Amino acid sequence: MIELTNVSKTFQDGHKALNDINMFIDRGEFVFIVGQSGSGKSTLIKLLMKELEPTSGKIVVDGKNITKLKRREIPYLRRSMGVVFQDFRLLQDKTVYENVAFAMQVTEASAREIRRQVPIALSMVGLSKKSGLYPKQLSGGEQQRVSMARAMVNGPSLLIADEPTGNLDPEMSWDIVKMLNEFNQRGTTIIMATHDREIVNGMKKRVIAIENGDIIRDEKRGGYCNEA
Amino acid sequence: MKLRTTKYFAKEGFNNLSRNKVMSAASITSVIAALLVIGIFFIIMLNIDYAASALESQIEMMVYLDEGLSEETISVMRDEIKSINGVKDILFISKDTALKDMQKKLGDNAYLLEGLESDNPLPNTFIITLKNPQDASSVSLALSSMANIEKVSYGKEDLEKLLKATYVLRMASLLVIVILLFISIFIISNTIKLTVFARRREIGIMKFVGATDWFVRGPFVIEGMLLGVIGGIAATALLGAGYYYCINLVRDQMIGILSITLMPFKQVTMSMTALLLCVGLVIGTIGSLLSVRRFIKV
Repeated sequence: MIELTNVSKTFQDGHKALNDINMFIDRGEFVFIVGQSGSGKSTLIKLLMKELEPTSGKIVVDGKNITKLKRREIPYLRRSMGVVFQDFRLLQDKTVYENVAFAMQVTEASAREIRRQVPIALSMVGLSKKSGLYPKQLSGGEQQRVSMARAMVNGPSLLIADEPTGNLDPEMSWDIVKMLNEFNQRGTTIIMATHDREIVNGMKKRVIAIENGDIIRDEKRGGYCNEA
Repeated sequence: MKLRTTKYFAKEGFNNLSRNKVMSAASITSVIAALLVIGIFFIIMLNIDYAASALESQIEMMVYLDEGLSEETISVMRDEIKSINGVKDILFISKDTALKDMQKKLGDNAYLLEGLESDNPLPNTFIITLKNPQDASSVSLALSSMANIEKVSYGKEDLEKLLKATYVLRMASLLVIVILLFISIFIISNTIKLTVFARRREIGIMKFVGATDWFVRGPFVIEGMLLGVIGGIAATALLGAGYYYCINLVRDQMIGILSITLMPFKQVTMSMTALLLCVGLVIGTIGSLLSVRRFIKV
């Protein structure tokens, strides 16, 4: 599904975010990427979304070498993956339904497809009854669920979550992670960057730990720290 | 492009326009100003060309004779000129007839010529009709070797003078037009930048859920086109009204005696409308593309 070969990223100011990373993530896996802020987690995710270019190395997503992708092909790469962020990134002047529909609209989906898919996505995250509300009428956890519905509505095979629980209290965080786990069980590959120790330790999934731009640990059923 | 996408672009474009009413009005106003100036220069150019082609196709030459020639001399000259190759017909207009013609032409203003009967400044004149306009220079050459002729005037000569006189005007107006185009593009692009900036979050979201660059740009391009086209329509209407007024002025007022004929209203407004709408559309489009460029790179 995802393969990184000797990937390095050095920013223009000389800051080295990633050093010669090698990583393979198979279809259907659930992977935590853990590390302190500034360890290189976010850079890694931006590389996968092709928001950033690696300085060197090769990144393959779904059999495609995305380092060689042309600019006009990037949107199609992004349609094949759903993305969830710490700050939800919802449009405040659109309802829950419209926020989710928006992700389909921009891919020029037909009105009929939108009418069919959006309710399915909303029921997957348990928000069918709140589709007419605006984001500010929802709790943080609910807002994150809207953004998950938006990420899933186009039926991606890969879901990338960048600190999805960063703004949520522990209880809500568990809701979100359980939901991600459900998506995973239905076949979606999940990559979740986090520094939420409890969740990582509780889930017993594969953990890739990054520190100062290096992979320092990659365990099949790991915890947040070595000792854990 | 799909119909629903076009609809979406149009809807969002109109929304953008009305979201920023003050700035939209300001930029439409400046587009109108720029297009007005462009349109005025364009109308002047059209009329110069119109006058030029009228002069060019003129197949009459005026031969002004020296003062105090005897009737006999005049009659000899008449035969001589008639024998020049290319001359089709020749008509003699005496000083007195010329004065009477002018009085008639002036109508109510004929009092201006009072007192001139005793000291008529107008010359005796031959009006030569040519077989075709190309003969003008050869006939004029033949005439120049004849005695007793004060001056020969014909269309081509006037035309050259006119073109020489308007060369500077043409170049200057071209320069002004180019500068104004740049200014309008800049203003439109700045207006749209405000909308783009206000919607930068939305653009970011569109980009990460997989919108193509064209999909993101669409509404802003429509917004720019609307700014340009609305400006174009307003400028066309203003100029049309102004030109209509000018035509009537020239026809009704004393300026008429200068024998200026303006290009017909319909002809001018048709090409002017096409020009201003196209220019408006183009500057709107370019302006909007410039403004989205920076934000779309995610």
